[in-house]
Amino acid sequence: MISAQGITKRFGGFTAVDRVSFEVGRGEILGFIGPNGAGKTTTMRVLTGFLPATEGRAVVAGHDVFEDPMAVRRRVGYLPETPPLYPELSIGAYLRFIAEIREVPRGERTRRVGEVMEQVGLDGWEDRILGSLSKGYRQRVGLAQAVIHDPEVLILDEPTSGLDPAQVVGIRDYVRRLATRRTVILSTHILPEVEAICGRAVIIAGGRVVADDTIDGLKDAVGQGIRYRVELRAPASDGPTLARRLAGLPGVERVVPLDEPGDDGFEVFDIRAPADPRTAVARLATAEGWEIRAMERHAATLEEAFLAAVGRER
Amino acid sequence: MKQSTRRRLAYGSNATLVTVMVLGALVLLYVLADLYRVRWDLSEGASNTLAPETLEKLRLLDADGEKVTITAFTHQAGKEDTFFKDRAVRDLLREVGENSRVVEWRQVDFDRERLTAEKLGVREYGRIVIQRGSDRVDIRDREQFRRVGKGQDRRTEFVGEAALARGLAQLMTPSRRVLYVLTGHGELDPEEHGPNGLSELVADLDRERYDVETLDLLRTDREGELPTVPEDAAAVFVARPKAALSPNEEDALLAWIGRGGGVLFAVDAGVPAPALLDRLGVTVADGVALQPEMQVPYTDRPIPVLLPHPITNDLREDKLAVILAHPAPLVLADPVPTGLRATTLLRTTRGGWIELGGRLEGGMAVYEPGIDVQGPVDLAVAIEALPGRGLVRATKPAARIVVVGDGDAFTNALVADGPGNARFAVNAVHWLAREDRRLGVLGSVGRATEVRRLALTRPELGMVRAISLGLMPLVVVLVGAGVWLARRGR
Amino acid sequence: MSQAWAIFKKEMRVYFVSPLAYVFLGVFLFLAGLFFYMGISMTGEASLRVMLGNLSVSLMFMLPLLTMRHFAEERRSGTFELMMTAPVPLWALLAGKWAASLALCLVLLAGTGIFPLVLAYYGDPDWGVIATSYLGLVLTCAAFVSAGLFSSSLTDEPVAAGLIGVILLLPFWLAGNAADMVDSPTLREGMRHLALLTHVEPFTRGVIDSAHVAWFVLFSFAFLFLTWRSVESRRWR
Repeated sequence: MISAQGITKRFGGFTAVDRVSFEVGRGEILGFIGPNGAGKTTTMRVLTGFLPATEGRAVVAGHDVFEDPMAVRRRVGYLPETPPLYPELSIGAYLRFIAEIREVPRGERTRRVGEVMEQVGLDGWEDRILGSLSKGYRQRVGLAQAVIHDPEVLILDEPTSGLDPAQVVGIRDYVRRLATRRTVILSTHILPEVEAICGRAVIIAGGRVVADDTIDGLKDAVGQGIRYRVELRAPASDGPTLARRLAGLPGVERVVPLDEPGDDGFEVFDIRAPADPRTAVARLATAEGWEIRAMERHAATLEEAFLAAVGRER
Repeated sequence: MKQSTRRRLAYGSNATLVTVMVLGALVLLYVLADLYRVRWDLSEGASNTLAPETLEKLRLLDADGEKVTITAFTHQAGKEDTFFKDRAVRDLLREVGENSRVVEWRQVDFDRERLTAEKLGVREYGRIVIQRGSDRVDIRDREQFRRVGKGQDRRTEFVGEAALARGLAQLMTPSRRVLYVLTGHGELDPEEHGPNGLSELVADLDRERYDVETLDLLRTDREGELPTVPEDAAAVFVARPKAALSPNEEDALLAWIGRGGGVLFAVDAGVPAPALLDRLGVTVADGVALQPEMQVPYTDRPIPVLLPHPITNDLREDKLAVILAHPAPLVLADPVPTGLRATTLLRTTRGGWIELGGRLEGGMAVYEPGIDVQGPVDLAVAIEALPGRGLVRATKPAARIVVVGDGDAFTNALVADGPGNARFAVNAVHWLAREDRRLGVLGSVGRATEVRRLALTRPELGMVRAISLGLMPLVVVLVGAGVWLARRGR
Repeated sequence: MSQAWAIFKKEMRVYFVSPLAYVFLGVFLFLAGLFFYMGISMTGEASLRVMLGNLSVSLMFMLPLLTMRHFAEERRSGTFELMMTAPVPLWALLAGKWAASLALCLVLLAGTGIFPLVLAYYGDPDWGVIATSYLGLVLTCAAFVSAGLFSSSLTDEPVAAGLIGVILLLPFWLAGNAADMVDSPTLREGMRHLALLTHVEPFTRGVIDSAHVAWFVLFSFAFLFLTWRSVESRRWR
């Protein structure tokens, strides 16, 4: 549905986006993540046709953004970083206006406005003036205007920024529901959000794509799977001996001793193994008389993937 | 070259080019619109639209191509009508400027731009100076405005378009012509500035581009030849001779008429009339024409009726009165001799009569049947002598003669008193000189416009002030406050 | 077309719920009243010429303040992004905004409609002249609004846009006065064609001249076109 092909955007001598390419398929929710100033907003603006790319090509919903902007505009719903509201208007008047310019057929406008307001939790707020709304409600109105014409593609620029946790959950749920029939790109710098709703993520840093994979794939790339952390104390042996004994267990690929400061005598190890090695470790410990304080399954986090990707880039 | 740079250059240069081209096209469209204009004048009486006569003059000036500069001096500040007078002149000149390619106009503050006034030798407010090459025509304030109505209804009317058209016409007269005034019989004197002189009329004629010179037909020239009327004469003015003309003089005038020339005869009661008038079918009757029902108050100076003729048409239109002083009655032969065509220009009303004597009532003459002759009485006539029918040679155009039963009508005294006297005389000269096209211009060109007065009493003015300064803004403030209140807290 | 209409309705709504429009209307009507009162008390004439002449000059300073927010404010508040990513053709956006500003001008002018009524009550005004005078003012407003839109498209700062608008219009006002001081007849003639007053003045006398109507129409069109260019240039710059 969305295809970015070597998009480059320069502002004067400054290159904001540098040869960014990625694809998003129908029904997919793509997380677009990167640190502030990485080029997320610029990329999205190019995809919506608001900014023309200096180089490269963007095809959205089957139409070239530069050659056929109107066709793209009709099929895209866009929520910019700050919701584009006219502070003088009431919510109802604003959404009716959007429905008009978004070419919602005359007979369906009232119904669509009502539906959308209900979906984003604004029912009964028709007459409220946009200028007097709180950040959360502005964001909801912004979301409502992006979906009012039932677009095939939704481009959301930081849809949850500045919201309180309850609101964030609400918006996330809503986006997840939307995605059943649509293609969504969602930019954010909040990683749990991506984990929560996106199937795939593109990580962008310094204007370049540094990683593009499913969430699990990204984690795998960093952590090579799952780690198990164990904390042991063996009065008779020292750390290296313990590590050697653990590595000797069947199925264990690698044991990494972690420098956990403390004088209580406990040693901490990271064990990497395809199958859960914890029962084997427990059996060994019982046999040897070691004390076990903790054994945890530890999945790799997106933060780690992100930092790794961004770090690699640096 | 990279694709990006190409894209930007292609669009960028294209856009600049297209922008310049479109703006150029718009300017071109305006030039076309300026050339092919359609105008609608929706003001009452289409008061902004120049008369066809004026437009015709402007068209001729355009065709000629020489620049015309019009300098209009403002009126005296602080006078009642100053604002309107200046504006009326400005509006008129704007229209003139819009309708001509060669006319440049300027309104000059007489008080501030003293230098301009000095340079043009203008010493009075409201004068309009028209210049074309070395030619110049001045239009005085009194020619542009006139007072009409009586008492409460008295007001100023602007008749500047007629004056301006006349001025333009004068400019276009190719050369100056000469009006010869017969001399040697105690005629009215063109150089005399007193009440009985002709100097005012001469000044008006001068502005109409006629030189006035005296003509002595009495004396023979050095070779002993009989004197004749010079070929360059526009017309001859026989200005109330106090003695009879000699046969030689009459022959010279007849010969002039035979060549299709024009003669203006002014006669008077109590002075001998030229004998050749008989041959023109005009008799100067005895007595004095009186017309008490239409005369200048406290005098017995009649204000005669104007009958239609090219000479009188614009006077009739503008309702300009001609004042006469003790005119001699004229009688046209009935029927008029063959080859002549006679038209009465001035005539008394039916209540007028020829006073031949009898008693006075309260110092005033009265009509006495049996003694006096019942009117109406002709006081001025225009005669055309057709070519090949006796008087005029067949190869010449019809000769034109105007006979006026009153010499005083042309004097400084009556030119000052009678609103139409000077115009009547100038029109007569134009007609005699065959300057027919200037008669049309002399006519009432363009409508007179007047100010729409709004006379408000003090309380009415206060009311207007309250509405305009208080009510309307207040309504807006209230509506605004209403909207603000309705939206508050939403 | 329907989108231009939608834009028009939105702009009108924004105008009439914001205090700006009322402050504007109030100031405008107060000035109109002042000019009207001055006109009739000083000249004693049943005519609107003094008022309308002064109003057209006042509009030159006021209308850019009315139009300044259009693009400048939208860019600042981010709604410009909305307009440029909605399927609204640029011409519809311009037409809607232009028509809305002009409609507000019509409301302003309608507010001065009380003055001819006052004249008719006390005197006998020339209705033909009044009608053409208003036509002239409407055309003036159309031209000023176009120039205002253009100035608004040049900057993100509404106040700067307003100032640019006034500065843009000033030459067209001054050209008339400056023309009288120029010696070269060709240049003087050219400046007169440029001058606003040359084209307004006939309307105040009751004259509709196609050339002057054309001047206003082309003036409006020129600035709308420049606005279009200015906004459009973002697509390739």
